Amino acid sequence: MEGRFHDSRMIVAKPEELRGRANIIHDGGRRPLTAMFGRDETNNGGGYDIYVVFEDIEKHTFVTVKAIFDPDGELTYPSLTRIIPGAGWYEREINDMFGIVPQGHPDLRPLVLHESFPGDYYPLRKNVNKTGQVRGEREFPIAVAKGEGLFQVPVGPIHAGIIEPGHFRFSQAGESMLQLDAKLFFTHRGIEKAMEGLTPQEALPIAERVCGACSIANTWGFCQAVEKISGIQVPKRAEIIRTLLSEIERVTNHVGDIGNIPAGVGFQPAISLGARLKEHLMRLQEHITGNRFLRGMIILGGVSMDIPPDLSDDILSVIAETENGVNDMEVLFVQQENFQNRIRTTGTVRPQTARDLAMVGVGARASGYAHDSRRDFDYGVYSSLSFAVRTQSGGDVAARLKQRFDELKESFSMIRQLIVMLKQEKTGLMIHVEFKAGEAYGISESARGSNFWYVAVDEAGTIDRVFIRSASYPNWPALTIAVQGDIIPDFPLINKSFELCYACIDR
Amino acid sequence: MGGFVLTSIGTNLLQGLLLLLLAPLFSGIISKVKARMQKRQGASVFQEYFDLWKWWRKPSILTPYTSKVFVLAPIVYFVTAFMAAMMVPGLLKTGFSYGDAFIFVYIMALGRFFLTLSSLDAATSFSGMGGSREIYISVLVEPAVMLAILVNSLRYGSTTLANMVIDYSSIYFTVSAVITAFAFFLVIVAENGRLPVDNPDTHLELTMIEECMTLEYSGRLLTFIHLGTMLKLMVFLVLFGALYLPVDIPVLLKALMGAVLIGVIETLNNKMRLFKVRLFLSAAVLLMAVAIIAQ
Repeated sequence: MEGRFHDSRMIVAKPEELRGRANIIHDGGRRPLTAMFGRDETNNGGGYDIYVVFEDIEKHTFVTVKAIFDPDGELTYPSLTRIIPGAGWYEREINDMFGIVPQGHPDLRPLVLHESFPGDYYPLRKNVNKTGQVRGEREFPIAVAKGEGLFQVPVGPIHAGIIEPGHFRFSQAGESMLQLDAKLFFTHRGIEKAMEGLTPQEALPIAERVCGACSIANTWGFCQAVEKISGIQVPKRAEIIRTLLSEIERVTNHVGDIGNIPAGVGFQPAISLGARLKEHLMRLQEHITGNRFLRGMIILGGVSMDIPPDLSDDILSVIAETENGVNDMEVLFVQQENFQNRIRTTGTVRPQTARDLAMVGVGARASGYAHDSRRDFDYGVYSSLSFAVRTQSGGDVAARLKQRFDELKESFSMIRQLIVMLKQEKTGLMIHVEFKAGEAYGISESARGSNFWYVAVDEAGTIDRVFIRSASYPNWPALTIAVQGDIIPDFPLINKSFELCYACIDR
Repeated sequence: MGGFVLTSIGTNLLQGLLLLLLAPLFSGIISKVKARMQKRQGASVFQEYFDLWKWWRKPSILTPYTSKVFVLAPIVYFVTAFMAAMMVPGLLKTGFSYGDAFIFVYIMALGRFFLTLSSLDAATSFSGMGGSREIYISVLVEPAVMLAILVNSLRYGSTTLANMVIDYSSIYFTVSAVITAFAFFLVIVAENGRLPVDNPDTHLELTMIEECMTLEYSGRLLTFIHLGTMLKLMVFLVLFGALYLPVDIPVLLKALMGAVLIGVIETLNNKMRLFKVRLFLSAAVLLMAVAIIAQ
């Protein structure tokens, strides 16, 4: 089985060996956990599988430990969470979706399926129908701290603003937050299940709509995986355009997120400036692709449209304007002493916590953990661009804000380099893809961190299993740790500094 | 004598109604100033009237867990604000001076007390938090307000509001007067839940103070609360004009200047950390103390 992936290693283990193997490969965090997911291969003559994927940063590749379970046997394995804390959510999700129980998991409550689902319902097993409705009852306990003088504050899932649903339960000692439990996954859409049985071509528009904020990152991850399975090499110009779109998407997101952070403290001029800059970028995105969310541009085998020279000039001019606006905003923030006072030492994630939880993206880098898939994996044309992976040491709201400013500077420079590259590489937008059977990973760094995709295509040329791990997934648990010890009026600010995505996990 | 008392009560009533009528306009002006400073068009200055009318036509939804206090509180809150509006001096020349400064302060406190009670009444953890924050701030505001009264009563030898109106023949732009005006403005900001102490137009339920207390209200009861809040701000602005801002122009104009200033400050500032509010208010108290010494 080794070398079955084009660029990564796979080790097959028995369920009871999974923990030991994973521990050796994890090596105390030297190879961080990327994702962990289940797969039902009973229709292909196999059993249930659990894939535990690690990143080998030095070798720029993945290492996978795969445990195969006999579907008629005992569906348990020793939990990894106590040695790899970042595995906590994944194991709970596999428990929900496949009914494979991690023994010794410190917090084995349901995660994805709420109290309105039947107790013995495992939606990602192949014997569960894709369509049809289920309704039932199960326990969905919420973690709270109890004690004299402590009280709970429930927030959501319906909020005062127009945002996605999530229930937050604060255990309070006066104004101080002792504990936060987030009940998410309210709008679980069953996307992974829905993609099964579709051809990659049919699944592409779905992949593009997993999340509105990172449609390029998700589509790219999906396409990479399918292209790897099919063994094709995307033309260079298409790769440059994909990389360019990815950076524009990052700029749009970062500008929007930076403009959102002051909303947590009612700092109006910055909110207005941020909203204006973001709108310019959204219009640029529409100008490039015909869609404000950059949809329809990345297709299997390349890109659907070219970026002609006059469009490149438009991109450059909007980027130049944005750069000015971003500089203004940074000055505005630095000068506002009252604002600095709010964001410093608020919502701190310590570097060790970031590593333990295998955080990604802005959240990780702001805590001094230099995790960046653009540097760690060879995809797109990032290897021919010059850029630095910036980090901060604070891990607080101020650090996450500064991190976005720093990353914007790198992105502006990358966009300019990419436009120059576009001029040199004249042709090659797409290549025909002949779908083959197999499985592969795709990875791309979205604005929030790395988005990881797993795609398995069967002999009939349809998708057998898709697993999507967007950047918000590993970072959500960090939010609940970051708030501890801060006061509850600071929560909106801390929340906005992470700007995690609900849709990305409601897949 | 009886006729005199009646007409002067009539004048007081008239003044209360006038301020009530103007209060939503002033709140609208503040919003407009903020919008223009943020380069937005903003809603019309009359928007608050429309909002009040909208709420007035809607029914109030009460949870079965609330008591009579919950219904009573908004009315008490509104009535106390209205009584305060009748008392403010310097606007219409009311001869009848039942307006003692201490009565004024504690009428306001009564309104706040009932609002805080209502926040506990619905027994939701949100409004309870709002109530606790409101009390925390009012404990800090009260000394500042008391000192503000003291400055003027020392100056004019009376605690009757009507006698405390700035007398331009004796003081005009003295150090003490300017400092008091500045400190009183800080009090207005804190007392009326404006930025940087509280954010009046946020939807973030976790950070709010007054809005947090009144989360459970709807419809007509909410109208009373909002009207009470606007009227209270109006009263404080008029008081600021009549008693503290040492510039010899009509009081309403000074109140308008105060409103614009609030709009500017709200644009330039963000909400401070909850526990820093005490520093903000101790600045007000200290300034008042300095003003008394400079007297």
